[in-house]
Amino acid sequence: MPSSLKYFLTRLSGSLITMLVGTIVVFLVMKAAPGDPALIVLGDYATDETVAEFNRKHGLDAPLMSQYLDWLGGLIQFDFGQSLSVSSGENIGDLLLYRLPNTIFVGVYAILIAVTLSLVLGTLAALNRGTSVDTSATSLAVLGVSMPDFWFGYMLILGLSIGLGWFPSYGFTPASESLAGAFYSGFLPALAIAAPMAAVFTRTLRTALIENLDREHVMVAKAMGHSGRFRFLHHVFRNSLIPYITVVGLQIRYLLGGVVIIERIFGINGVGSLMVEAAFARDFFVVQACAVVFLGIVLAVNYVVDLICAMLDPRRVR
Amino acid sequence: MKLRHFLHNRTALAGLTITTLFLLAVFFGPMLSKWSSNQHDFMNALQAPSWAHPFGTDSLGRDVITRVLEGARISLLISVSGVFAAMVFGITAGLYSGFYGGWMDVVVMRVVDLLFAFPAFVLALFLMVALGYGVTNVALAIMLVYLPIFARITRNMTETVRNDAYVQAAQVMGQGVPRILFREILPNISAPILVQATIAIAFGIVIESGLSFIGLGVQPPTPSLGVIMADGQEYFRRSPWVLTLTGLSVTIALLGLNLLGDGIRDLSDPRLKVRE
Repeated sequence: MPSSLKYFLTRLSGSLITMLVGTIVVFLVMKAAPGDPALIVLGDYATDETVAEFNRKHGLDAPLMSQYLDWLGGLIQFDFGQSLSVSSGENIGDLLLYRLPNTIFVGVYAILIAVTLSLVLGTLAALNRGTSVDTSATSLAVLGVSMPDFWFGYMLILGLSIGLGWFPSYGFTPASESLAGAFYSGFLPALAIAAPMAAVFTRTLRTALIENLDREHVMVAKAMGHSGRFRFLHHVFRNSLIPYITVVGLQIRYLLGGVVIIERIFGINGVGSLMVEAAFARDFFVVQACAVVFLGIVLAVNYVVDLICAMLDPRRVR
Repeated sequence: MKLRHFLHNRTALAGLTITTLFLLAVFFGPMLSKWSSNQHDFMNALQAPSWAHPFGTDSLGRDVITRVLEGARISLLISVSGVFAAMVFGITAGLYSGFYGGWMDVVVMRVVDLLFAFPAFVLALFLMVALGYGVTNVALAIMLVYLPIFARITRNMTETVRNDAYVQAAQVMGQGVPRILFREILPNISAPILVQATIAIAFGIVIESGLSFIGLGVQPPTPSLGVIMADGQEYFRRSPWVLTLTGLSVTIALLGLNLLGDGIRDLSDPRLKVRE
């Protein structure tokens, strides 16, 4: 088997094992959580018969092991069971299918903003090291990581929505209805999520570029008479991409965390706001479904990032 | 790391100054204020900032700056205890797994990978549903978010120094493993851990504020920073200053902690020192 294929398969099986263990942990923690799902749905005055009936209907009277296997079997077919209280009786898979595109849209939009900002700021800072340009860019970056994203979201609302009236402060047009509307109504939430990420990306890119600018192969390229632009793009920038992309991948954890709270503030019907609503309604089935979906997204993105890094630096594969 | 170097690093100095001022304000501010954080005054509800009330008053007429200072005390306490617990367990797990390697390392790192694969805020939110809301459980959630980070850093650093001469010398002298780990290795790898701790305390405050802000963390009437901001969000259009100024205070405090962390990093990383 070629070493590259072996590398991809090893990484894939690692992710799948983590995912599997993750589902076990999520399942057990939710089982141990205080509150009986039957009483949450039926109320405190439910009779023993109705509780037993409810448990039978949802398979909650089966042994723990078979409950888990049932649930896992469903997960593989994107069947998460039925919602208890947040959207009573509705299929959780349908809820997720309706909401996932909005979360992904806002998340990708935020990454695009963060990457664009950081490419400009990080490059400017590295090429003008030690000057006021560098100082402003790095100061802006420290400020970016220090702001709570939800507060920054409200500041954007205050300035650009209430103040100038340029953007709506609440509500989101799904991309399936109008792509332009989604970009417009999703701008403030995406920017709020992007700000701290842009700060981290800028710092990473600046450090990586500076490290590579001083490397010997760049000096050699200069001695060989390659132009500054060529040296930067082919020798400095390309080599800085690996730490940069790695950090972009790692930040997906924080991105999705930000999505949860920002979706709630801006009234976006996404998986994050669904999880918060379910937490309030103590809808255990929906909460655990959302946790598994987020876990899956993080693992999938990290897997793709590993593949991209392996393509950029084939030494990793061996 | 010498104090003289520390004071000559502008980033570290700025961070230390802001953090010290923040701590002084949090510890002594509430004593100096003539209001108390839960003192209602309905005649003076939702006043704009003034000399008497620098951050204005909230919908119950409470002085916002007094509440912010007391809230910062609570938020800081939650974050510090969560991060401290994460350090105790994470560092111990990292030291042993980096030192011994083998199956123990594999098991510990699998658990770490798993915790690491959950988005930080989703993990915290999930735990709040499972454990219930309240001060202790928010600290517990912060611990679980940061435990994998400390474990991973400690493990990787331990692995790199495991075969260094001073570790071998300690082994030859017959020192026990716990003593070697905590007295020989830990002091030598403490700089990156310290940097991470400073940044973790800052983000711990963000996690607490976030959870309490959406109503799934600290519960009113306990005034944590998130609770105060959640309150301010309800009448944000009418009186934006409560949320704005509270969040601004949080930002400045976190700026101090982040600059302090950056400063320590610059000073402890010899590669960076040569370059700058």
